[in-house]
Amino acid sequence: MNRNQKIKLYLFIVILIMGILFPVFFPRLSIPFGFAYIVYLMSKPMAVRLTSGSKKQRLTYTMVTLTGTLLLLFPLIVTFYNVDTNFESFLLDLNRTQIILDEKFHAIQSNILTKFGIRLNIDPAKMLMSKLETHGLSLINKFPEYLSVLFEWMLLVPLFLYFFFIESHKLKIRFLEIIPNPIFEKTYVLFSQFNTKFGEYIIAKFIEATLLGLIVTLGLLLIGFPYPFILGLFAGITNILPYIGPFLGAIPGLLIALLSNDPNVSLVGILVIFTIANLVDMILVFPLLVSKIVNLHPLLVVVSIMIGSQIAGVLGMVVIIPFIAFFKLLFKEIYKDLSVHL
Amino acid sequence: MTYEKEMSEKISRGESTEDKLEIPLLKYLWNSSPLSFGKKDGLHSFFKNITVLKSFTDNEVRIFTKFLHRREFQNQEVIFNEGDSGYGFYFIFSGSVNIFINHESQSAPGEFVLKLEKSQYFGEMGLLEEFNRRTATAVASENTVLLGLFKPDLEMMLEQYPVMGAKFLRETALIMAERMGQLTKEIKVLRKKISRLESKL
Repeated sequence: MNRNQKIKLYLFIVILIMGILFPVFFPRLSIPFGFAYIVYLMSKPMAVRLTSGSKKQRLTYTMVTLTGTLLLLFPLIVTFYNVDTNFESFLLDLNRTQIILDEKFHAIQSNILTKFGIRLNIDPAKMLMSKLETHGLSLINKFPEYLSVLFEWMLLVPLFLYFFFIESHKLKIRFLEIIPNPIFEKTYVLFSQFNTKFGEYIIAKFIEATLLGLIVTLGLLLIGFPYPFILGLFAGITNILPYIGPFLGAIPGLLIALLSNDPNVSLVGILVIFTIANLVDMILVFPLLVSKIVNLHPLLVVVSIMIGSQIAGVLGMVVIIPFIAFFKLLFKEIYKDLSVHL
Repeated sequence: MTYEKEMSEKISRGESTEDKLEIPLLKYLWNSSPLSFGKKDGLHSFFKNITVLKSFTDNEVRIFTKFLHRREFQNQEVIFNEGDSGYGFYFIFSGSVNIFINHESQSAPGEFVLKLEKSQYFGEMGLLEEFNRRTATAVASENTVLLGLFKPDLEMMLEQYPVMGAKFLRETALIMAERMGQLTKEIKVLRKKISRLESKL
């Protein structure tokens, strides 16, 4: 490698390190940047199809950005519009839950006292309420801060998205210029494959989560279960996490079923709905959509999710899978090259 | 078909033309004009001499250049080694490239096959084959500038400009077919020689 190539290599490594450290030092900027990049990768295939052979690319990109922004804004506006009524209904339900919890606990306490002669000196309802009060208060205190961050994102995400649509090709060409010649071809192809895989994975997970959320919502509506939309949404979001997600998604529904005295609220009903939804996901959606994109061993997926959660919380749990798939691809390529040259 | 012809045909057919002025296109046409005082060694004049792009219109050549990567190699720098994974092919924009087989290092250069000069291209199998291994080593024989087109670029081109992508693939396939024909002829000659040698034995 000559002097120029060595300088290029050092520059490339420095830029890579800066790219890795960027989220650590500038989280306020890197989170909307990363989110916009994910939305860009998701909407890119559609945008390319819309602009195929056309000269009106800028108009199409503007339309895609505006549509994406409206789609993001709509649920937020609806949520904030109903925030006071939702909060009131939540407080009412919380009181009801405390009474039911008290009743159930006293029944268990008297059972234990008569059968074993042991008196339990704990009050779970009181403990739960005091915890909820503390967390609830801190949430309310931080609400204006969250709101300002959210509005900042609402401004930055569409801006970055539009920038990705218009400038990403030029930016990519400039970035690739600094890659040294000996590793150029491989780096470029791996970089493209990662982008494609990442985009496809996010789209596939989005479709999978939407379908599961829809099945759960419709099922809950059919049996007259309370909060069908919120529970469906929660089940859809948690389903983004492979293997662990379906169990997490069922917890709120199961808790409501356990703590409710309402005859419409059936534990068996909700168990059946979640089982059907997850069977459809496991048998149809996952094999057809996701597994083809990310061909990883289940154990590796679970370990990756745990590592991802330690690095970057819930976001880490979601994005770690395509990264692991990329590293698998990278090691495969290195191994192939070594086996040829050695 | 030139851009001017394309436009005049559109006007004669009564079809609408673009209302807005495309500055990059005008700039490109200005630079490519034979009367222009601009750079004579620009991309347009370079691609005019490339056979693989002979069916491209001026505007298509302009779009095609957007997908290319400019790579600079110094004298005796290895472009790719025999056995490496191949993902694309290169046009020689300036300089020249030596092709070797059984090349191991600069001290053991292997068997020299041919020298490729400006406006020639190489490595097209890397663009077409799914798992390509380079069959020879390419080394810059002087300070050389190459314009590379790689698999992701071709995929993007086929998605964004399918007609242009199909034209490019057709031309590349024709070149490959021509080379296959030459190889078949060489194999026939070699077989005859072998059979003659066998009969003598």
